[in-house]
Amino acid sequence: MISDSLVMPILQGIHLSRSFGQGETKTTVLYDVSIELFAGQITLLMGPSGSGKSTLLAVLSGLLRPDSGTVMALGHDLWALSDLERERFRLRHCGFIFQGYNLFNALTARQQLEMVVRWGEGASAREARRRAEEMLDLLGLAKKAHLRPSELSGGEKQRVAIGRALIKEPNLCFADEPTSALDWKAGQQVIELLRSAAHDRGAMVLVVAHDARIIEHVDRVIHMEDGRLWQQEESEPVLHTIKQAR
Amino acid sequence: MTSYSLITLWYERQRYVPGVLAVGFSALLIALQCGLLLGLFSITSIPIDHTQADVWMGAPAVSSVDLGRPIPEGTLARMGALPEIERCEFYLQGFAFWNKPNNGGSELCMVIGSNLSPDSLGKIDKLTPEQCGLLAEEGTVIIDKSDEKKLGVELEKKAEISGYPVRVVSTTRGLPSLAGPYVLCSIATARKCLPVQKDQTPTYVLGRCRNPQDAPKVVKQLNQYKDVLAFTKEEFSLRTRLHWLLRTKAGIALGYAAALGLLVGAVVTSQTLYAATVASLREYAVLRALGIPRWRIAGMVVSESFWIGIIGIALALPATYGLAWAVESCIRVAIVSLPWWLLSSAAAVTLVMALVSGLFALRSLRQIEPAMLLR
Ligand SMILES: Nc1ncnc2c1ncn2[C@@H]1O[C@H](COP(=O)(O)OP(=O)(O)OP(=O)(O)O)[C@@H](O)[C@H]1O
Ligand SMILES: [Mg+2]
Repeated sequence: MISDSLVMPILQGIHLSRSFGQGETKTTVLYDVSIELFAGQITLLMGPSGSGKSTLLAVLSGLLRPDSGTVMALGHDLWALSDLERERFRLRHCGFIFQGYNLFNALTARQQLEMVVRWGEGASAREARRRAEEMLDLLGLAKKAHLRPSELSGGEKQRVAIGRALIKEPNLCFADEPTSALDWKAGQQVIELLRSAAHDRGAMVLVVAHDARIIEHVDRVIHMEDGRLWQQEESEPVLHTIKQAR
Repeated sequence: MTSYSLITLWYERQRYVPGVLAVGFSALLIALQCGLLLGLFSITSIPIDHTQADVWMGAPAVSSVDLGRPIPEGTLARMGALPEIERCEFYLQGFAFWNKPNNGGSELCMVIGSNLSPDSLGKIDKLTPEQCGLLAEEGTVIIDKSDEKKLGVELEKKAEISGYPVRVVSTTRGLPSLAGPYVLCSIATARKCLPVQKDQTPTYVLGRCRNPQDAPKVVKQLNQYKDVLAFTKEEFSLRTRLHWLLRTKAGIALGYAAALGLLVGAVVTSQTLYAATVASLREYAVLRALGIPRWRIAGMVVSESFWIGIIGIALALPATYGLAWAVESCIRVAIVSLPWWLLSSAAAVTLVMALVSGLFALRSLRQIEPAMLLR
């Protein structure tokens, strides 16, 4: 049995356009892009450099306003919300992972995670610590909790960054080239973690990446070229995944 | 917030050193300058601070102890009638010309005539009982050792004050003066040296309370009469020093230098924090993308500025004492006065400066733009 709610997209971009610059120098990066993304599913967005992948991710995640089009996220028209409401929405529902690890040099792995829980949810120090330790355990970093970024490998740093994105238990998780700076083994670990976020926690995960080896680790692949999506695999694998996830 | 900012300060301490030093320097500058000035001007209130009176009663509108004018004789009985007053006495003081021996020219001096008995209220505590005994003879005076040259006399030498012959019978040590050398004597001698003190008038009436805590109450009662103005010892001492501070315009120089020190401190601290924040811009941008409110990040920056302030002040404190000690051992006079209220005011002003710098550094947060992480 597949209920309606399960096949409803959790995140939907409808006729999204976005361009940069004005007049002569105006370049359009997104041409009327529509996309549907589902909970419990990890989707890979691929395409040549400059095709607009990051721009699409930013528009879908509430970081960059589209020129036209609508983003429906968990039933909210994301770009009709006020800035503050959108910020609250991101706080409650969105996790982000970027290519650079963007970790605070001064803080240990555990503190990087605690910070998000304490500042985001106003959790107590004890509660934040418990959850950070739990998450680091899950990431296989229990023994590295006390290390600072300068003492961690690239793969470990990216895992901490993933922990920081997932500790809020987001429904929507966005990763822009999370594996680009890593070797294949570390990259694979990262993808597996994102995959389990989708499959075990039921989150929607959207990954932008270049490496074709990732394809076999995801549920669905979307290609992008010159601001257009040109091949969206049909809904069959979607249903397949949802059945898997059940 | 505090814990993260402290951790960051410690881990990236090299980055924050200029800010901490700037704050420390500002605090040091303010404390030492005020301390020096206060020390310098505390010379002017020596007659108040080094005597036993709880209450000083002088002419109306007297703004500094050295500016006393004669008051009616009957005011002594008025004070003595108050039940809180244990005893009270006359006190004479005024500027006069000191004519050096052998027509050596003249010098303005400050004549202080007081009761010389062991329980005297107006006698400066540097006078020994023997010296008081010597002063009992009319026409004898005691000056400070450091003023001998200025007054052109030595022990047992004769001079004239306002034409009245006097003899130096002893000297004190450590009684510095600012306006004119102090000349200590009995009330009878002082009356001769101070022509304005007609007949039996005093310059001040000094009182001692049975319970020193009653002094403010006594002062209030005495001030019901308009022909006098009374103060507690502490009030009059402060009033005298403040008067000198303003009269000499030293206050302006002080304020100017302190403001300059603060400005330099604020600019350096603000720039330090600004640079530190900009260096972490991408990290903060991730937090913003994750929906962490801006005020949390602002709070972190301001909290860093707070701790920079605290650490800077903590460093400045021993440095202030050290420099004060160095100055004093250099010129061999205890001249820097660093009471706790001065140190804590200097600390408070500096801390506020650090916090304001933190607020100014917040402009860097405008550069935080989560979308920049995607490029
Ligand atoms: N803020 C901006 N101002 C002007 N042009 C921009 C801006 N952001 C993106 N662009 C342009 O939009 C186009 C698409 O950029 P985008 O970052 O989305 O590509 P991408 O597919 O993520 O590329 P890559 O794989 O290299 O990261 C590029 O040509 C880029 O120059
Ligand atoms: Mg990109």
